[in-house]
Parts: sequence; structure tokens; C-alpha cells
Amino acid sequence: LTHQVTGNITPDYGYLFTVTSVQNTTLVNNSRAYSVLPPPRDSEEKEMLDRMLRVDHAGEYGANRIYAGQMAVLGRSRTGPLIQEMWDQEKKHLEKFNEILAENRVRPTALLPLWNIAGFVLGASSALLGKEGAMACTVAVEESISEHYNSQIRALMEKDPERYTELLQVSNKEFRDDEMEHHDTGLEHDAESIPGYWLLKKRYTTGCKAAIYVSQRV
Amino acid sequence: MAALLRGLRAGRTLRGLCSVVSAPPAANPQCSGLTRGIHCAALRLQDESKSDKPPPSSSSTTHHEHYQTHSAEQASTSDPAAEEASRPNTSYQDQSGEQGEEYETEEQLQVRILNAALEFVPLHGWSMEAIAAGAETLDLSSASTGMFYNGAGDLVLHFVSHCNSQLTEILAEQHKQVQLGQAEQKRTADFLRDAVETRLRMHIPYIESWPQAMSILLLPHNIPNSLKHLSTLVDDIWFYAGDRSTDMNWYTKRAALTGIYNTTELVMVQDSSTDFQDTWNFLDNRIQDVVNMAGTAKQVQSTGEAVVQGLMGAAFTLKNLTGLNQKR
Repeated sequence: LTHQVTGNITPDYGYLFTVTSVQNTTLVNNSRAYSVLPPPRDSEEKEMLDRMLRVDHAGEYGANRIYAGQMAVLGRSRTGPLIQEMWDQEKKHLEKFNEILAENRVRPTALLPLWNIAGFVLGASSALLGKEGAMACTVAVEESISEHYNSQIRALMEKDPERYTELLQVSNKEFRDDEMEHHDTGLEHDAESIPGYWLLKKRYTTGCKAAIYVSQRV
Repeated sequence: MAALLRGLRAGRTLRGLCSVVSAPPAANPQCSGLTRGIHCAALRLQDESKSDKPPPSSSSTTHHEHYQTHSAEQASTSDPAAEEASRPNTSYQDQSGEQGEEYETEEQLQVRILNAALEFVPLHGWSMEAIAAGAETLDLSSASTGMFYNGAGDLVLHFVSHCNSQLTEILAEQHKQVQLGQAEQKRTADFLRDAVETRLRMHIPYIESWPQAMSILLLPHNIPNSLKHLSTLVDDIWFYAGDRSTDMNWYTKRAALTGIYNTTELVMVQDSSTDFQDTWNFLDNRIQDVVNMAGTAKQVQSTGEAVVQGLMGAAFTLKNLTGLNQKR
């Protein structure tokens, strides 16, 4: 009989939970030395953090599905490898958020199946407009996500920068920088050359804003 | 800047004073409260003026805290008579007096009364009489039941949350044992069964009147609270069972466990077998059902995938056969 002793705390963020094995779990009060979130002071703070993490998780999940949709259409074209690369980065973000959610017992949004389908359809339909369409979609979505991360960073900095340094550093700043990179990549690859770019972009960004609003609450 | 801070502190003190003055009337408490308040306020102001000097002595600190908890209490209490009766006679003028253990908040008092009232539930049912009887065992007047705006609902909700926290402690203890390697990890189905059984066994002393409690929990104004308790219970059980899912599984698992828990509870209240053996058998069967369903769902999914693969392969073969696949 082998027993895993999990008294050792590793700062390795590639460390994944497996659902079937309880030995890898953390204790209720999140006593890991290197956790991303501080233990919440009261229920208000917990609610605020919960909401933020929930919507971030939903966002990454949606982005994941959007890229999957784009790959399904453009996977075998010239832009395939580019989209694949961006998709891989989003997968990493999603993994990280899965970890954080599990650790902090945050409820994931109930609309996940909806974002699953909607994201895929969005990605596929934008890719059907061609490479420029896919890039335009990427630009729009990454722009709204970056804006969202920025407002979260602002909110956390307003409250208490020192308390949330880890969260700010890892999830928000690092990921926001990645998203901005995707945004710039999209622009580089002729996103703006599609006719009706402005309208398309407006539609995508409004959709994203609505999704963010709803995910915070449901 | 320092002057501004001092001014703010003075303002706070004055506000505290006003709350003492406006406390509900009761002749003796008010007068002594006032003098206490003024005394404490004076001490506090005196202390503020020494703020640049080394930290205040422990006695004036305890007076700070006395004063703060006291004014908070006065402002929030709705039954000063009960409080006065339950608080032992300590002299607040005593500078070297001990701090705080004699103080309790209104919530702690309510908890004490409700805990005492649980003894009388088999006799009076889940009602105000039980609460009144409980209050009397603590040497409080039965009029202190006026504190409980929700009446029997308060008692039932308190009992439910008490049981839930007990269960959480037990599960945390087991979890620690497993982490330390002193106990074996249970299978999920067994873990769920044990957790639900442990939780339901806490109802056994009150099982005669439990239907009444259940109906109280279903009253419209109690439903939000009882749902909250139920959802935290189910979330805790799944967390300790090792669930770390972050997708729809989160919802389906909890929904399934809620169904199991509620139906088993219903079976329990009309179970007349020895030691509720029928109930535990029912529970076993329900958990087995859920496990089977999960297994079936997985099978369906993998079968579906295999079928799709098969169809794609067949289509590809067909394309080859009809020559559509050739590149010229």
C-alpha cells in the first residue's frame, strides 16, 4: 500500500489535480504556501473573488472554444499553425483557472454549455469569412478580454494591491499580456482588411461584454 | 495630517458616546452605561492624546475594547434585560479588570439559548415553547424568546447548520487522517454513503418531530436559508469526496447528491425498522443508481465516439472505392 503524503508544497504551476485522487487535494482553508489567492477575510471578499474567478474561467473557456471553432475551419490552411499556437496558450490559461477554481471552491458558471456551443459557432462562423474574418474575431475578442482583465486589475489594486499580488501577477497581468499579444498578432495578420471590419468588431465586442456580465452573475 | 487623524478619532469617540446615550431605556443599565461610557470615552481621549508616545498600557487597552464591544452591544441589542441578567457582575470601573470573556454578543447568546432549547424539542416540538424552556434553563426569562423573530424557524435552522458544521468537522478529520497516511482513501460511493449516513444519524434523537421541522424548513420565508444550508452541505460532502470539477459535472454531481439526500431523509422519517436499516439500504441503492448512471453515460459517450469513427472510416473507404479520392 502506498500513501502519498502531501505535506510537501510545490510551487510548480503545472501541477494538475486529478478528480479521482483525493490525495492531491488541498485542505479547506487553502494552507498552501504558494497559493495564488489569499484566504478570504469575510464573505463579501469571497463573493467578489468568486465572481472574478468565475467570469475569468468562463472567458478562458469561451476563448478556448472560439479557437477550436476557428481551427475546425481553417485548421488545414496556412493560418492553421498560427491559430494552433494561440489556442495552446489559451489552453494553458484555462488549465490554470481550473486549478484556481478547484482550490478555492469556486462555483463554475452554469452557462458553460452555452459558452461551449456559442464559442465554437462564433469561431467557426468567423473563420468561414476567411482568414481575415478569423483574425478580426480574434482581435475583437482579445480586446474585450484584455479590457476586462484591466478593469479587474484596477479593482484589485484599488482594494489592496499587496494582498492580491500573486493573483494580480499570475492570472491577471501575465494572462492579460498574453491576450494583448494575441490581439496584436490578429492585427498583424490583416484583420482590418476585411470589409465591414468595424461592424463585425462592434458585434463581437458587444457579445463579449454581455457574456462577461451574465457570467459574473449566473 | 496627524491633526486630521486625531480629529477623526475624536469624532469616532463622540459617535460612540452618542450610541451609548441613545441605548434602549432601562434605568440602571442606562445610568451606569452612561457613566461607564463617559469614563471610557475620557480614557480613550486621554489615550489618543498620548498616541505619539509608546503604546498604551494594557489596562487602558482593555478599556478600549470593553468600550468598543460594549457600545456595539448596546447599539445592537434588542433585549438588554436578558443581557444584563446573563452578564455576571463585573466592575467596569476596575482598571485592572480582565478583558472580554464575560462579554458575549447577541448572536452568541442566541446560540446558547437555542442549544439549550434543543433538549426540549422531543417534549414541545420545534416551537417557541421549546425555546422558552431552553431560555429558562439558562436562568433567563422566557420573554427572551422575543429575540427570535423567526420563532421555530430559528431553532430548526440553527440545528441544521449545527449538524452541517459537525459533519464538516468529521469529514475534515477523516481527510486529515488520509493525508497523514493513517487511513485509507474510501471509494467515492462509499464515502458518499458514509457521509450521508453520518449526517442523517444526527436527526435520530429528534426523529419523532422531524416531519414538523421539515415542514418549517419549507415555509416560504425559510426556503432561502434552508436551500443555502443544503447547498453548502452537498458542496462540502463533494469537496471532501475529492470532486474538483470545474465544468457541468460540478452541477450534475451536486444535483444528484441533493436528490439522494432529500429522498433518504424522507424515507428516514417513516422508517420503523431497527436502527433505520431500511433507510441505509435505500441509501445504498440510490447511490448505486447514480454510480450506474454515470457509468452508463460514459459508456454511451465512448460508444458514440466509436460509432462516429466507424462511419468516417466507412465514408473514406467509399470515397476510395468510387475513385473520388484520387489526386490526378
